[in-house]
Amino acid sequence: MKRRTNFKLSFSLVLIMSLIMLTACGNTDNSTVNTGSTGGAKQATLDFLWFSDGNEGEVIKGIIKEYEQSNTNVKINLIEVGFKDLQTKLKTMISGGKPPALSRITDTGSFANQAVDLTPYVESADQFEGQFIDSLKPYYVIDDKLIAAPMDVTANGLIYNKTLFDKAGVKVPTSPEEVWTWDEYIAALKEVMAKGGARYGMVWDVTPHRWSTLLYQNGGSIVTEDGSAAAINSEAGVRCMELFKQLHKDGIMPESVWLGGENPNNLFRSGTVAAHWAGNWMISNYKDITDFEWGVTYMPKGTQRSSVPGGKFLMAFKGSGNEQEAAAFINYLTSKEVNSKYNQESLFMSPRKDSSVLDYEFGKEMYEVFSDELKNTSPLAANDWSRQTLISKISTDLKNNIIDVLSDKATAQEAMDKTAKLINEAIGSQ
Amino acid sequence: MNGGQSLNRKKQTGQTRKLAIAPYLFILPNLLIFGVFIVIPSLLGLFYSFHVYDGLNPMKFNGLGNYIKIIGDKEFWSTIGRTGIYAAIVVPLIYAVALGIAMLLAREIKMRGLFRAIFYWPTMISFIIVGLTWKWIFGDSFGILNHMLTLIGVEPVGFLTSPFWANAAVIIATVWSRAGFFMVIFIAGLQAIPTDYYEAARLDGATGLKVFRHITLPLLKPTSLLVFMLSLIDAFKAFPLIFALTGGGPGKETTYIVQYIYEIGFTKQELGLASAMSVMLFVIIGGFSALQFRISKGGAV
Repeated sequence: MKRRTNFKLSFSLVLIMSLIMLTACGNTDNSTVNTGSTGGAKQATLDFLWFSDGNEGEVIKGIIKEYEQSNTNVKINLIEVGFKDLQTKLKTMISGGKPPALSRITDTGSFANQAVDLTPYVESADQFEGQFIDSLKPYYVIDDKLIAAPMDVTANGLIYNKTLFDKAGVKVPTSPEEVWTWDEYIAALKEVMAKGGARYGMVWDVTPHRWSTLLYQNGGSIVTEDGSAAAINSEAGVRCMELFKQLHKDGIMPESVWLGGENPNNLFRSGTVAAHWAGNWMISNYKDITDFEWGVTYMPKGTQRSSVPGGKFLMAFKGSGNEQEAAAFINYLTSKEVNSKYNQESLFMSPRKDSSVLDYEFGKEMYEVFSDELKNTSPLAANDWSRQTLISKISTDLKNNIIDVLSDKATAQEAMDKTAKLINEAIGSQ
Repeated sequence: MNGGQSLNRKKQTGQTRKLAIAPYLFILPNLLIFGVFIVIPSLLGLFYSFHVYDGLNPMKFNGLGNYIKIIGDKEFWSTIGRTGIYAAIVVPLIYAVALGIAMLLAREIKMRGLFRAIFYWPTMISFIIVGLTWKWIFGDSFGILNHMLTLIGVEPVGFLTSPFWANAAVIIATVWSRAGFFMVIFIAGLQAIPTDYYEAARLDGATGLKVFRHITLPLLKPTSLLVFMLSLIDAFKAFPLIFALTGGGPGKETTYIVQYIYEIGFTKQELGLASAMSVMLFVIIGGFSALQFRISKGGAV
């Protein structure tokens, strides 16, 4: 009898303790919401989730400081996380009821329902959208809502080892008129391998996004233009897959990157690889290479020229209590002056039409090539990659199916058919 | 008088009550941590497993839909199969290596402490670091092993690009990182065997192998079962080391079940489906544990 009461007593104690813990967590949530809902020119602390690829973290810190000086009621709390952790961190914050005021983000589609619609905070949606490169629009306008604002734009492109090309006496195209065809390009790589002593002709980032560059250059796409069905198993898609395999088979590309998980950046840095298919963000990464000279040249054309655009955006979140201040800050960051400063100092490309030419400290001529690539990009590329919710569902499978072809587990046709089936399933479930 | 007695009795009952509560208070901190970080999330996981949930938008009840999907999912079962094969190789290997080292180091030999430390050291390194370290050894273009092979004029081997070698690399790294831990358990087990048995056996003229088969091994049964059980559960939960070493590649050759669940949950954003898979994994591991518990009769000899 007594033992039972004691047990009851300690059990209720446990319950009470856990209740205290739980309510303690709950309380903090409530208090932040409460302080946020007063409005007006109140003191506001904006949590700003951020990730860095290069030195842009330092650049944004400088900009934040300036902003805080002229807006004394706002304090911005920059929370830096690794790019890989951003999505998980953001999800935890949102589902825990404590979203940050705003975040730097690439995957806009996944968070569309949680984003603040910026329309009421800008002059007009048309005027706002008109400022930026058209191909980015599907990334930040979803269901007629302005869910984010572009901060910088990226382009896939071709970085080459100038020292090796020079040694082999192979010239790279220096103007859009001289662009290689794919056959000419492969022949050039073979020559650099034979005469220049390159161990491999090229390395290619292990992401479906970079891989898809080849797809658009050959007139293919992942989904049809209206997004109603898969298009990846078209004749063009299969032809790309076969070419990609052939490049591995011929030893132009090392199997260790796509099959063995070796970092292509390290291989290119070792000075033994003639070309790296990456993007403009690698310029600041490769800036410190001193063992050899490198440059950027035009990617070859298949049936057409194409790059793949990408972008990094700013998104404000509902329920942070500081929606208005966050939107005002986003407006500030996307203004011509601030945005140009940010991109110029970070060595990024501006998404604004009126500041496509920036006065970079480094690699100015390389950026001209990248922006020319963007100008000559298939509209299907942005059409595919702005479908972020679909892409996140299929990109691992696409990657695995490409690898299946490289490791002789499937033919190009089988792999593309399999991917197409998954894409159609994913479209159906949306 | 009377009042004093009742006061005394009260004091006594108060003391016994204190004594009765004390044990619960002692386990309270752990119980809370266990409850908040293990039990509640597990129950939530079970709850998610009946829903379609992406971690952000409202969940939709899906009944047994996720489970039905998993049962028909070839990919899931082939991953389970791959994990099973991996476990079937890694578990006996760890057992043999750990026992072998333990037998050597349970003896009185010079610098025993140093050798024990050397073998135990890898268990203290995080799995990610172990994976990265072995990546630098096995790496195709930058690996030390291939560098040395080229130095002696042998063609470099695609350790991480060939399915066979990638699996071998994963197994070697796993055994290296785990054997030390189980070695310690075995050493404790070996030292618990009374030396009388060995002396008697030697007097009877038994040789080393016979002593091992008829004395060491049977008396190590409880330890062996523990090691088997722990290493099997380890094998089914293997993830960080492999993720750092091969990333699950080439292709999906070294993608085992936990990584597969991770990809479904966090790359494809299907938390409900991933939760259902975790529940299935829990059932499988629980099944093993129950089986082994029964074989070992609850750990008794």
